[in-house]
Amino acid sequence: MPAKILSVDDSKTIRMLVAKAFRPYDCIVLEAGNGEEGLAVAQRERPDLIILDVTMPIMDGVTMLSKLKEDPDLKQIPVVMLTAESGRDNVMHIARLGARDYLVKPFKEDQLLAKITRIISLQPKGAGSAN
Amino acid sequence: MSKTIDYKELAVRYGLDPIPDSVIRLTQLLSKQDADLEEIARVISADPDLTVRLLRVANPRATNDQEFTIETVEEALMRTGVGCVLLLAMGAPLTAAILKTFQTMAGIQVRSVHPRSLPPLRGEHICGSIGFSGKAEGMIELRMIRPVAQRVAAAVLGLPEKELTDPTAVADTIGELLNIVTGNFKSNLCDAGLDCRIQPPKVHYANEVTPPPASAGGVERMAFRGPNVELFVTMVVNPWAD
Repeated sequence: MPAKILSVDDSKTIRMLVAKAFRPYDCIVLEAGNGEEGLAVAQRERPDLIILDVTMPIMDGVTMLSKLKEDPDLKQIPVVMLTAESGRDNVMHIARLGARDYLVKPFKEDQLLAKITRIISLQPKGAGSAN
Repeated sequence: MSKTIDYKELAVRYGLDPIPDSVIRLTQLLSKQDADLEEIARVISADPDLTVRLLRVANPRATNDQEFTIETVEEALMRTGVGCVLLLAMGAPLTAAILKTFQTMAGIQVRSVHPRSLPPLRGEHICGSIGFSGKAEGMIELRMIRPVAQRVAAAVLGLPEKELTDPTAVADTIGELLNIVTGNFKSNLCDAGLDCRIQPPKVHYANEVTPPPASAGGVERMAFRGPNVELFVTMVVNPWAD
């Protein structure tokens, strides 16, 4: 079954770049524009991994991360932060909340893929088993 | 028992860049803002780049560094004030954020140039701005002409320029680049002790360049040039807003 990755970012540009990065792989990229939408998608779709921005309208990424970690059904989903917020205190706070990894924008596609493939295994499209 | 989190360990685990020298420099200056001019001058004199930029501000009529009439950091400080130095010190992390963001996201190498070395921005252009507030308050503004915005956005999205016809996509991409630049800048200010928050980017097409009001704080204008790319950046900062 293809892996499900949820990209939560208020920037359509970033969501497009994330989707483009995973296009060669057998996975489904789901999208949400803020933390509230992200939580709803996470509850409905149970993704294998969440890529999460911090500064977003309606519900920011830090609040979404706290809510995910409070939810017994969702707390095991690994979260990788993808954000321009690299201040020491913010990074420490987010680490304490339980983010698995952290990638600071600006980023390159290969940096994102390297972080994600350390957490979940991705198969190139068309490389699936024959059974 | 919960394990204590050490930032250095985290930075290694997450692969984060170390705190830049420019931020350490800004932290030193902020810690000395109540100190006497001599002490501040010592910190500035240890930094050749900051020294030259301060002397340029103190000698506005000079067209090159040989024409300076104010030649010492102490004299320059008396003329410009400590606030000006802080503004100049904040310009370094902003410049670094712009260079890194355009190189990493768009593969475009830009370099900082004197704003007067570029022809002034005329006619329709895209203008993005992001405000920040807290212990430092102000705004970062990024302007570029429409074809440059199109070129930059296409490079970020990995599309041929001709295929990027949606002006909303161009505006969103420029807004995100500005968001990244300002986010990095804001993180640097926080690390230097100036805690602040940023607002969402506002992007629009404009025909005129309106200067920020004098009450907004100190203003530094910057310009950047790359292959077929010219960027105009304005930084407005009130470093003692809180």
